[in-house]
Amino acid sequence: MKLVDRFTLWFLGITMLIIPVNSFITYQSIKREIDKAAIERLKHVNVRVAGQIERGEVPGEYSQGCKIKVETTAAGHPVDVYEVTEKDVTHDPELKDNDRKITVASFHTINNKHYKIISGDYVSRSEQILAGLRTSIMWKLIILICLVVLTARLASRFVLAPFYGTLKKLQRFNLKLKKKLVLPPTRTKELQELNCFVSKMTDKAVDDYNSLKEFAENASHELQTPLAIIRSKLELLSESDIQGEQAVLITDMQNAVDKLTRINRSLILLSRLENNEYETEEEVNLSHYTQEAVNAFGDLVSLKSLTLQCNIDTNVDVRLHASLADILLNNLISNAIRHNIPGGSIEVSLNRRCLVISNTGLPPEGATEDMFQRFKKGSQSNNSIGIGLSIVKQICDMNSFEIRYHYTSDRHHVEVFFAGEANSSKLLQNDERYLQEKYQL
Amino acid sequence: MKVLLIEDNLELASSISEFLAREGYICEVSYNIRDAQDKLISFQYDCVLLDIMLPDGNGLQILSFMRLERVQSSILILSAKNSLDDKIAGLEEGADDYLTKPFHLPELHARLRAIYRRKKLNGSNMITFNEISLNIDTLEAHVNGTLLDMTRKEFDLLLYFIVNKNRVLSRQSIAAHLWGDYTDNLANFDFVYQHVKNIRKKISAANGTDYIGTVYGLGYKFNTSKQ
Repeated sequence: MKLVDRFTLWFLGITMLIIPVNSFITYQSIKREIDKAAIERLKHVNVRVAGQIERGEVPGEYSQGCKIKVETTAAGHPVDVYEVTEKDVTHDPELKDNDRKITVASFHTINNKHYKIISGDYVSRSEQILAGLRTSIMWKLIILICLVVLTARLASRFVLAPFYGTLKKLQRFNLKLKKKLVLPPTRTKELQELNCFVSKMTDKAVDDYNSLKEFAENASHELQTPLAIIRSKLELLSESDIQGEQAVLITDMQNAVDKLTRINRSLILLSRLENNEYETEEEVNLSHYTQEAVNAFGDLVSLKSLTLQCNIDTNVDVRLHASLADILLNNLISNAIRHNIPGGSIEVSLNRRCLVISNTGLPPEGATEDMFQRFKKGSQSNNSIGIGLSIVKQICDMNSFEIRYHYTSDRHHVEVFFAGEANSSKLLQNDERYLQEKYQL
Repeated sequence: MKVLLIEDNLELASSISEFLAREGYICEVSYNIRDAQDKLISFQYDCVLLDIMLPDGNGLQILSFMRLERVQSSILILSAKNSLDDKIAGLEEGADDYLTKPFHLPELHARLRAIYRRKKLNGSNMITFNEISLNIDTLEAHVNGTLLDMTRKEFDLLLYFIVNKNRVLSRQSIAAHLWGDYTDNLANFDFVYQHVKNIRKKISAANGTDYIGTVYGLGYKFNTSKQ
């Protein structure tokens, strides 16, 4: 629900509550005023009639349009006391129309005679007042609702424009562009605070992102150069005249340097992935990449005397950065080769829904849930550094693919489902549309 | 071949220049951009080995400087930066090849030779050593005139041996040369052994001399002194 609708509803709710209460009060006060005026008038009539009696004139049945009645009463009633009675009188039974009659009785002592003068008059009935009020209330409500609904939207377009502007900017904000957010100026205090907070936050995010990226680059440079030195020195050393034992030591050192290099390179890749440096808008033909990767590993497969079976659908397009497609496939296929048994088999199948790579192999030793975590390995025996699968997982997470692993009937199965992508992008599109609607009001 | 090495790290620079000197290259070293620019204007080099991160600026400046001054040397970038963007930037600026640190020295040599072949010996796509001749374009290997039935990897490996003859080549450096970055994921280097075995078998079958020897504990060596 839109902000402006919420406010409108709230306002209308209050109006609905106030108007009946208000009209009850109005009704009561109008009625009271009418009665008061009528009573005052009748009092005057009574006084006038009393004057006529005093002058010796015989008062008529009507005086000044009011019906009057004069009675002589016994003494004892205080002077200047008025009795006011109200009653609904059926004037004409056929009309079914009740009139409200107000009568005022007053007591007068004239020439030592006591008179009771009663005058009466018809006034508007409460129903008649109510009927009048109802129409006015209805009109009032209609006009109010129309005005509120119309003007709220207009007003919020001006008042909330900076807010929607901020929302839109935030949604388009991308760390990778390294551009600081410029928010629309506003005179509203809350929006000023919001903008201030948002720009502080995003500026910090941009700064952090930059320093993190810088760190990753520096780390790579600072580590790669010493590694290059060690490696080159070892190569120079291995060309000098060395004995058998020394050669073994040099090889061990070279292996360690190699491993260090691989770890370094993989960690840099992971941090790059986490920094979303490989976002892409384009789709790649994964069939093509899969076929190429399978071909590239052909030698290795035959050297390890494995059998490789391919079941690749043509023209499977997936939104994925080209380098990541390479890394993903190479990691998965080389894993399948590495964790295989002599004479085993590998099966690669690709269709629009998923990529499945399954291979024969020994059952996993550790818990398979930890499989995709860094430096967790199924078995400690081999030479892997245990980071390949977490890179694969990171790539899948980034592109909203779902990756699953299971071991059934002596085979490892790694499945990558592309379906997740469509869902998430639809969700995003909806968000975008929603926001667009909101902004346009 | 005369090479200018622009590298700020003294240790690495000395390793590379020592290695290249053994191969018979004339290797000059610059430790910063200004010195390198002076040398590039004053002398002529066949190839420039360029580190991107230098104390007085970005090595890519040298590329534009060389374009401006019409220096006709080949350029091989050596960089610790291995992101695709950096590689593309380097190659688009006019570099001939891009090698990320840490690299194997024989790999550097092989790439240097490849650049040299492409640029200087235009048309000469044949590499010959005694009875072995390799055609870089057609990827054909002949021994005593007989065509060897070789896979692409075996051809690359033989070329790598001949370019780095009389040099100990570790299994790692061979793997890195043949497979590039994907060696990260290989369990062991048994396949290097397999490839070497196949090459030796194929050369011997064509009555060629088996120049490739095993160096205990270290790797292999293409030994030219064998007759």
